[in-house]
Amino acid sequence: MGNLDIALKNAMSIDGAIGVALVDYTSGMTLGVAGGNGEVDLTVAAAGNTDVVRAKLRTIEMLNLNDEIEDILITLGSQYHLIRPLSNRTGKGLFLYLMVSKSRANLAMARHQLRAIEESLEL
Amino acid sequence: MSRVDDLPRRTPAQAGALPPPRALPPSLAGNPTLPYPAIGQELAALRLQIPGVHGCVLGGVDGLLVTHNLQNGVDPHDLAALAATMFGLGRQVGYRLDQGDFQQSTVRNANGYLSVYAISPQALLAVVGTDSINVARLHLHAPTTAARLADLLDGVTPTGS
Repeated sequence: MGNLDIALKNAMSIDGAIGVALVDYTSGMTLGVAGGNGEVDLTVAAAGNTDVVRAKLRTIEMLNLNDEIEDILITLGSQYHLIRPLSNRTGKGLFLYLMVSKSRANLAMARHQLRAIEESLEL
Repeated sequence: MSRVDDLPRRTPAQAGALPPPRALPPSLAGNPTLPYPAIGQELAALRLQIPGVHGCVLGGVDGLLVTHNLQNGVDPHDLAALAATMFGLGRQVGYRLDQGDFQQSTVRNANGYLSVYAISPQALLAVVGTDSINVARLHLHAPTTAARLADLLDGVTPTGS
């Protein structure tokens, strides 16, 4: 799992990163977490955001769009939350969940870096 | 001398040499003093909170049903017995590996889940769910439900036998 640890560490080196998790959306369980602070429990965030991903996947299916999620951006008052499902074969059913501080992060850069991390992540 | 003579002989046990029979607490099942409406509310809340939960069973560690809110035709008595079986295995693992008391056990099959949570040394909570259930959320919510159920069962006066 060295690859996973490196990926999580790289995600935490994104400017303004608060926490990151690799989550299995078939169960809502985390495969790995990094960062986070006393106030946010990343396993709770993972379980909750699993429902977000599932709802969107179901919607896409119901609309017969025949497409997939590249990423989901959730904007809070003080944070951005980025959800990026893994696109390679080994990462099927998984997504990366990144929390960044709105004031310290560059959203475009964070999104770009998260994509690079996701593409290089082989499990 | 035959080999049979080398074997240790079984001798009848001396009176008083046997350990005293284990004193088991009275079963929770069939106890009319349990706060059934409050328990039912907790079980219903858990089912509402997590989509995909078919129902919950509150059973004793003796395998007897206390109450349930299953609606899909599964026999709750069977599930209470299965939950106690899973508890028994978990408890034995806990003993052998010195890992302490049983907390939780989950079985995942092709089309669903059965999770069993310890409520108290006497009671178990079994939850049946579909395959698509968010197990992580179940594992987050069920222990708090179990803790509240433990409080509800705490003040109950045990009935005889």
